Amino acid sequence: MPEGAQPARRPEGRNRLLPRASRSLRLQLLAWVVLPLAGLAAVNLWTSRNGAFATADLVTDRMLIGSARAIAEQVSMIDGVLDATVPPAAIEMFDTGDRDSVYYRVETADGRLLTGYPDLPAAKGRAGSDTTYRGQALRLRSYSHPIFGAGTASPIVVTVGVTLSGHDAMARQLWFRAFAQQLALVLIAGLFVLVGLRRGLAPLLKLRDAVRSRGRTELAPFSVPEAQSEIRPLIDALNVYMERVRAQMAAQRRFVANAAHQLRTPLALLSTQAAYARREAGADARDEALAALQKSSGRLARLAEQLLTLSRAEPGSRRPREDRIDLTEAARGVLESLAPVAVSRRTDLGLEADGPAMVTGDGTMLREMIVNLVDNALRYGRAGGKVTVAVSAIGNEAVLTVADDGPGIPPEERARVFERFYRVAGAVEEGSGLGLAIVREVADNAGGSVRLSDGPAGGLTVEVRLPIARG
Amino acid sequence: MRLLLVEDNLELADWLARTLRQAQYAVDVVHDGEDAEHALAFGEHALVILDLSLPRRGGLDVLKSLRARGNTVPVIVLTANASLDGRVRGLDAGADDYLAKPFEIEELEARIRAQLRRASNRAEPVVACGDLVFDTNTRLFGLAGETLALTPREHAVLEQLVLKAGQTVSKAMLSAAIYDFEADADPSAIEIYVHRLRKKLEGGSVRIVTLRGLGYLLKAEE
Repeated sequence: MPEGAQPARRPEGRNRLLPRASRSLRLQLLAWVVLPLAGLAAVNLWTSRNGAFATADLVTDRMLIGSARAIAEQVSMIDGVLDATVPPAAIEMFDTGDRDSVYYRVETADGRLLTGYPDLPAAKGRAGSDTTYRGQALRLRSYSHPIFGAGTASPIVVTVGVTLSGHDAMARQLWFRAFAQQLALVLIAGLFVLVGLRRGLAPLLKLRDAVRSRGRTELAPFSVPEAQSEIRPLIDALNVYMERVRAQMAAQRRFVANAAHQLRTPLALLSTQAAYARREAGADARDEALAALQKSSGRLARLAEQLLTLSRAEPGSRRPREDRIDLTEAARGVLESLAPVAVSRRTDLGLEADGPAMVTGDGTMLREMIVNLVDNALRYGRAGGKVTVAVSAIGNEAVLTVADDGPGIPPEERARVFERFYRVAGAVEEGSGLGLAIVREVADNAGGSVRLSDGPAGGLTVEVRLPIARG
Repeated sequence: MRLLLVEDNLELADWLARTLRQAQYAVDVVHDGEDAEHALAFGEHALVILDLSLPRRGGLDVLKSLRARGNTVPVIVLTANASLDGRVRGLDAGADDYLAKPFEIEELEARIRAQLRRASNRAEPVVACGDLVFDTNTRLFGLAGETLALTPREHAVLEQLVLKAGQTVSKAMLSAAIYDFEADADPSAIEIYVHRLRKKLEGGSVRIVTLRGLGYLLKAEE
């Protein structure tokens, strides 16, 4: 890769990484379904975790109170002395295989220790409470139990504490089940989104393949019968566009074929004149043939020029330009350049203008338009006649008229003379039939219009109206 | 040899006619289908060069009605439409040959000669009568190995006679062959041309025989 190409490409590549992912419809939809679902699942997991711990707390508390009650019920007055014998079952009920340690303490109402661990703290409140004992987290529960005949020693208070391994294992077990369910839900939802998208996007992908596999000149409309109603407008728009391109291409092809056709006769003329001159022995006849040949080749050059102008005037073939042009000044320039032609035809060529008329458009093309109008008037007007070019600003329009006093164009032919290569029947002068086509194309591009009418002195008047430039 | 040129482009028609006249053909020029129809009604042309895109009446139309009338005059179609379809339609309508514009005049002339040769049932381009030789390719006459210098009218008369050597050629046929529409046809002038030709042919072994009331006949002496 050339050195210079890299810096230009890099920023684009860097910026595109993220937007490209979010531009995938599949990823977007998947994200919109799965991410909120995962969020909901996370919240749900948090609450179910709390629930699992609350459940484990409750179960542990029940066991603690059961154990404390079993211990308390074994406390009795034997020979006037309080006897506390801890039944093994009260301890063994905590043996869930999690190697939990159980601590207990039995004391009288007045604080005398009957049995157990003297430093085991009492549970606060009526519910179970958590504390730390000998470096271990502990769940505690106290239970007071009246003993008949114990006097002020009654009621006794039994406190049982258990380490949290069993409790935590239970909470984890409860929570893990919920976690597994939620995870399965999210995964299944994601899977359905993908399957649904694959099915839903199939017509779009089919359309893409159809577009991609099209040949360069294949412009038939696309047909995707299974397309959904959301995609259908896209296909319809695409087909409308294709139709437009097709019409444009057909017009272009017709024009090129027509142009080639129109070039054949002048070329045959050139070749004939050259052959005649080559064989002619008489100097005068040869000079005449060579002069005619020069004239023919000049006309052929003009035809080529007009073809080029026309192809430039076509929409899309040239970057639109917004020159500010004084139509009066442009007309003056054109008239000056065509004055020799007028003189040779003894035509009285004149300009009538009452000041500048500014218009906006492609200056080159506007000038070319005036050249064609005046050239037509000189060519088809009466030799020794009069051609008048007038420019004026009327309201918000600049009006350019070119009037001759020649034979004019019959009204029934006026619509057709704008067609390319159309020539008025019986016209003696060999024109290309492109002049007025160019005029209309340029006027259209500049947002104006062209109209043909009878001239004041017979002949033809061509009127071009263009919007006045603002400001 | 008289040709009809039908071409709507005035200038091309003019210069083609001039060039063909250079080659000693008499050429009538018309510019549209209707005029072509009228000109062809006389049946005086040895060959027609026909453009297809004509005002008033299309060239194909002219060609079809010509053939429908049983006229077998050779027709070379000359057109700007060089497509296969165009060529096929032209030939199917009864054209004998087809030449697309632009063309070289040499090719057009070669095709004219080929069509005329075929029309007169000759395989050889060179026609001989005694020691008079006519090369239809170069369109030059030779007498005993020497090129014969002739005026266009003399050329036209001798051409008719040599192509029909041994047959009677009427004054009317000669007149039709040498005068195009623009010329003042003067049948009595034929006698002058024949007289001059006899002088130029002196010393050779051919003779122009006058058959009173019938016409002329070119004959080789034994």
